Amino acid sequence: MINKWIKPSALLLASALAISLTACGSNNANNAVGSDHGASESASSGSAKGEKVTIELAISKSSQDYAFIKEELLKQFEDQTNIHVNVQMLPSEQVTTVLQTKLAVGEAPDLVPYNLASAVNDLNLERNFEILDDQPWVSRLLNKDVLSAYGHVYGFQLSQDAGIQGVVYNKDIFKDLNISIPKNYDELVAAAEKIKASGITPIYMPFKDMWATNIWMGSAFADYVSKNDPTFWDDLNANKKKWTDMPEFANIIDKQYQLYKKGLTNSDVLSDSYDMASGKFINKEVAMMFMGDWFINDLASKAPDLHLGLFPIPYAEDAKMGASPVGGQLFIPKKAKHMEEAKKFLEFLASKDVAQKIVNANKFVSNFNDVTTPELPEYKKEIVDNYITPKKTVVTSDAFMLVDISEEYRYYQDIFAGGKTPQQALEAWQKKFAQLMKDKGAAGF
Amino acid sequence: MRISKNLYSYYLIMPALLIYVLFFVLPTVVGLFYSFTDWRLDRESVHFNGWYNFHTIFSDETLLKALRNTIVFAIVTVIGKNLFGLVLAVALNMKLKTRNALRAIFYSPSILSIMVIGIVFTPMLRADGAINKLFEAVGLGSLTQAWLTNPAIVIFTIAVISIWQSAGFQMAIYLAGLQSISKEYYEAATIDGAGSWKSFRHITLPLLLPAININVMLTLIGGLKVFSEVFVLTGGGPGNASQVVGTIILRSFGEGSWGLGTAMNTLLFIVVTIISIPLLLYIRRKEVSE
Repeated sequence: MINKWIKPSALLLASALAISLTACGSNNANNAVGSDHGASESASSGSAKGEKVTIELAISKSSQDYAFIKEELLKQFEDQTNIHVNVQMLPSEQVTTVLQTKLAVGEAPDLVPYNLASAVNDLNLERNFEILDDQPWVSRLLNKDVLSAYGHVYGFQLSQDAGIQGVVYNKDIFKDLNISIPKNYDELVAAAEKIKASGITPIYMPFKDMWATNIWMGSAFADYVSKNDPTFWDDLNANKKKWTDMPEFANIIDKQYQLYKKGLTNSDVLSDSYDMASGKFINKEVAMMFMGDWFINDLASKAPDLHLGLFPIPYAEDAKMGASPVGGQLFIPKKAKHMEEAKKFLEFLASKDVAQKIVNANKFVSNFNDVTTPELPEYKKEIVDNYITPKKTVVTSDAFMLVDISEEYRYYQDIFAGGKTPQQALEAWQKKFAQLMKDKGAAGF
Repeated sequence: MRISKNLYSYYLIMPALLIYVLFFVLPTVVGLFYSFTDWRLDRESVHFNGWYNFHTIFSDETLLKALRNTIVFAIVTVIGKNLFGLVLAVALNMKLKTRNALRAIFYSPSILSIMVIGIVFTPMLRADGAINKLFEAVGLGSLTQAWLTNPAIVIFTIAVISIWQSAGFQMAIYLAGLQSISKEYYEAATIDGAGSWKSFRHITLPLLLPAININVMLTLIGGLKVFSEVFVLTGGGPGNASQVVGTIILRSFGEGSWGLGTAMNTLLFIVVTIISIPLLLYIRRKEVSE
């Protein structure tokens, strides 16, 4: 008899304990939020009276060299305003997840450095972040577009130096073999053949890293669209057009693949990765790679006597240089607990003297009309003079995407594994793209 | 007296039960609930969407391929790990001088981190890597392969690496089983004129069934839940050639489709249960007591 009730009562007790534990948890959380609110209220009113306020800036551990979190800079800010910036380091591989969670539960930090395009995709920029159109520094911006989405300024950055993408090439090899920069696809093939004849691998494709398959397409698609159908990306995102509606896309994909088929690349493209590229360039084993200027920047300190340059992806005549959106902008979450103080930090960074100091130290291409751009390294100067100033750049296709596009890279990789033709890759991606857009709830899908 | 004794045993299981309910039963039930919703990172609210997630799984070519790869991987590794584990155990149960050293050597891969295995094997399995060079050196040049980049064989390559890693662990369990078999049976069988195969077939195998049971279950469930081997060696590539359910779940979460990822997880749970419970009952029925 007694045994009979022991089982259910034990279960009951267990569940009661479980419930009380969870209840405790939420109670505590509520209390924490409540007391935090209290703290923030007293803090913001306190800051006027000169009491110290602490604002939180959450950043990936891999970005610890980020220009806006240098210790002396934060100290100067604190001395001037009595606002302390607390830098939270997030584990690199979990940044997105941690930020998504923090934003979702309303525990947002006050400042978040992120990439604008990724913020649109990963962090739901429009819903989660403050529009900064009315900030005093906005009127001094040279290029508002690099900080804007949905027609509003969301991000803050002193630099307008986008990640420029094209063909990274070894200038010395080109000079020794008397090769000029290829201006179209045939010239690229001819140059590559000449390099191959000299015993150097002409093009290095690090396609074990699937994202690297997309550098060629990212720039070439964008250039083609900007010249032939400027509203294509909008139509694509509204489901009025499909990836397969652009017959030239399959040709562009195939042109990259043919370089491999012709034996103008490393032989095992699917086993070679991006982190092997530095060594290959330093040892002068390879002459070209479809990549961005960040690669040249990274190598500059490792191999100062290596002369690398960048030219546009020559899929066709007169192609423009691909430009990915400026990275490392600061965003303020709508749910930031210290909105005013966070905005003050941006004002501080934008103030002429501070901005000039940061721009000089980091060799930024300045985005403020009263802050001058310092002397740039040679490769960057060439890019600025030949492509950025004459506006011969085009924003890469990835920047227009509203969903995760890594599956697109996988289909490109599959072409090299012999699993798909370029046309099949596009068809498969269109299907996946429509699915992702539908799941996202995008209008028209 | 009886009552307090009974209650006493319940007090003891209470902490474990609580943790089990809180961290396993509760998430499983909640997961089941979310697999029927459109739970997403960029949605304010969560709605029921019926069988939509499951419909998506069964109409998506990549997801089906992942399901197929998972089952292939599980079958190959269950057979490979148990066969090699058993052979090693029987061999190292004999009176060899180097027995203990050999046992340690064969067991050692299973203490390696999967990251280390990935770093060691990836360069060896390249088209111009050590394995192909070895084949060429011994005149088997025709067997060279792009082990990790040929879509047709990549899942088998990963399975073989997994077998290499854990056969030693299976060996340890079989060894324990072998040592619990009394020598008297073998002596009696020898007197009756049984050879070594007959002793193995009629004494070792039946009495080893509990060990076989646990090994098959462990390798099967491990095989169906495969993730780290694939993630470290290929990331599911090239293309989607080596995707398994585990890597697809990760991808779904990365795409923000939390509901879909949870549905895949639920499906995996069901598949593991459906396959393992009947198998468990079948092998258990065959077990004999000494």
